[in-house]
Amino acid sequence: MKREDPAGLTRRDALKIAAGAALSVPALFTRAMAASATAPAAAASAPRFFTKEELALLDELAETIIPADGHSPGARAAKVAGYIDGRLAEAYLPVEADVQQRWRDGLRRVDVLSQEMNGAAFLAASSEKRVAVLTRMAASEKDPQTAEEKFFRELKATTILGYYTSEIGIHQEMEYKGNTLQQEYAGEEPT
Amino acid sequence: MLLQIRPPAPKEADLTTVYDAIVVGSGAAGGMAAHVLTSHGLNVLLLEAGRKLDMESELKSMEWPYDHPRRGEMPRDGHAITLNEYTVRQPPYAKDTPYKHVYSYVQGWGGSDYSKNIVVDEKDHPYTGTKYAWVRARLLGGKTAIWGRLALRLSDYDFKAKTHDGYGEDWPISYADIQPYYDKVDLYLGIAGHKENLPHLPDSLFQRTTRLNPSEVMLRQSLKKMNRVLTPYRAGVTTDGLKHNKYRSKCYGRGACNRRAGGCDIHAAFDSPTGLIYPAMDTGHLTLRTNSTAYEVTVDPATGKARGVAFADSQSGKHYEARGKAVVVAASTLESARLLLLSKSNAHPNGIGNSSGHVGHNFCEHVMGPSILGRVKDLVGKPRTLDDGRPGGFYIPRYRNLEDRQPKFLRGYGFEGGGGTGMIPGRALSTPGFGADFKKTVRDEAGAFVHMGGFGEVLPRYESSVSIDPAVKDRWGIPVLKFNYAFGDNEKQMALDMAVTGKEMFEAAGIEVLHADADVLTEGWSIHELGTARMGSDPKTSVLNQFQQSHDVKNLFVVDGSSHVSASCQNPTWTIMALAWRSCDHLADELGKGNL
Repeated sequence: MKREDPAGLTRRDALKIAAGAALSVPALFTRAMAASATAPAAAASAPRFFTKEELALLDELAETIIPADGHSPGARAAKVAGYIDGRLAEAYLPVEADVQQRWRDGLRRVDVLSQEMNGAAFLAASSEKRVAVLTRMAASEKDPQTAEEKFFRELKATTILGYYTSEIGIHQEMEYKGNTLQQEYAGEEPT
Repeated sequence: MLLQIRPPAPKEADLTTVYDAIVVGSGAAGGMAAHVLTSHGLNVLLLEAGRKLDMESELKSMEWPYDHPRRGEMPRDGHAITLNEYTVRQPPYAKDTPYKHVYSYVQGWGGSDYSKNIVVDEKDHPYTGTKYAWVRARLLGGKTAIWGRLALRLSDYDFKAKTHDGYGEDWPISYADIQPYYDKVDLYLGIAGHKENLPHLPDSLFQRTTRLNPSEVMLRQSLKKMNRVLTPYRAGVTTDGLKHNKYRSKCYGRGACNRRAGGCDIHAAFDSPTGLIYPAMDTGHLTLRTNSTAYEVTVDPATGKARGVAFADSQSGKHYEARGKAVVVAASTLESARLLLLSKSNAHPNGIGNSSGHVGHNFCEHVMGPSILGRVKDLVGKPRTLDDGRPGGFYIPRYRNLEDRQPKFLRGYGFEGGGGTGMIPGRALSTPGFGADFKKTVRDEAGAFVHMGGFGEVLPRYESSVSIDPAVKDRWGIPVLKFNYAFGDNEKQMALDMAVTGKEMFEAAGIEVLHADADVLTEGWSIHELGTARMGSDPKTSVLNQFQQSHDVKNLFVVDGSSHVSASCQNPTWTIMALAWRSCDHLADELGKGNL
């Protein structure tokens, strides 16, 4: 694994990116990191793993990490929380039961930290104060130490995975031009 | 517009007849053997251990991630072995796993759901010994179903490497011997590329080249001043189409081959079934039997010659023998060595074709790991362009130990790489922070990255070897391979040089270097294993003659990468096919003369 990227980009993956490739989706994340399973973006209103309250918190966290901006909608519109909920609902339990638990704990810790810092649960705090909570959690992003910091890393990784593989992420945010039939290759012929 | 030609209907194998030739394995080598031998009118039985898959429904090359229930990932009960596992554990890697299926590391790449039936389940296919990232695909076509497509020629710098630097052995052929066969492979299968007139990387008969992205043009222009070359990826892909092959479309630049482990559901990228085997079936001379796991080349005790091939039906487990006037082994470098070593008889007590004791030895490949990541400042924030609508990025051919003599290592290396972004911004996770700034940075920088990784020649050493481990058997009860293999000092010194010169090249081009890594990946990572039944003119130190014909058993041929005398640093598939073509011409000729 590349040292600067503990989430597990392998070097042959990097080579594939380099070769003009899409970064492989699962390759972005090791099993431990990516938490768990799969699953279509579940409707936000019908969580399969989280409680409604947990899902609402996750939805806000994901949107704080990748918000709507003038360029494109954010993680909420891309139903990233539903995607994560589906992955966890389909976790392979002989290996990933602890991953499910880690997400439950992680969300709880966000509220505990928010109470400490802001005197209010995350969703009850102002958007400025929410950002402050996440900023604290993101403090040692490259080398997370505390449970909160580690959860941020996992949350961010999975949010990235869900967002940039979504229709909004690929087409509106990244304006990806490929996966279409070309009569001529793009770029320049060598001279 | 896209082709949907169904494969020809198979003929039933007739195990009561004696075929002109039995070919074991249906990858690049076995497919080529089937093509060439049937083109001479010979009746050929092709045995493949794996299934025939409907590749269109496996690959679904244009499916968007969001249209897949797991965004392209395989089911969660499957596991891809990680670099860390390869490093800290010993094979067999699937031992005691809690997962239902365990796959080699390539299943950790994108789109693993599209290749999960193509690569083997390590649970069924254990091996032992030293650590090795062995990637196997058991299906009709073998690893050509997902190969990386870089199609390069070797030169006399490779064939006569011992003459050049004194190490190892020269090949028993020179470039002039194989050049006409490289030409035949180019014309029959199609290859994209740009002429560079390099003596150490001869040009092919190219179809329309792919093109370069802006950062790649920058690097190419800068390298010229260093007397080095960056050339568009020489892809074993037909970019103009092939009038003589109805099973393959030309390339439409969909970029699907880079989003997955590989594979092309319109078969613009070469694969053995549509490129070689289906056309061979259309001659009426080829019988294909899939689900046929060969475990022994049988011997006529009266003559000591090969009589046929014993195999187990991969589904029923029942055992059969097919008989042929000649046996052509093309099961992949390591599986071919395994098959020869397993084929013990009174006539061949060390395994068939192994009087030299060299079968399984002189195992070599390419070392991987060192890589450079850079960012082109001028490209940050530019409007999105199509960067990955092509079968590959670029190749930088070898520049070490050609006219110069490096003090710390022999031989050379090349780089594969590319610039720009794919469907998913690969650097998002290593972009720090969150929020609107993070999102904008990911978006603005995605097209500005350029990256390359080295592939270096690993020296063949007698002690680098595989042998049979009688204590461990695969799912079919066949003893497995035990590895005795590790990179040596030459590879480690070469890897250090890759990182240094890679960084220099980026810096000279004004590309900001974000990362230059000299670490070596696990042995096997290149998927370019070679050399375990090498050719040579001396039967005491080699297994095969220049026509990949056993020195010991004249009707036995081994036409895959196991025959290679040294690894060179160029990807081997095109050479495997050119050699197999040449050898099978010879086989047909000798069979016609009654010499086998």
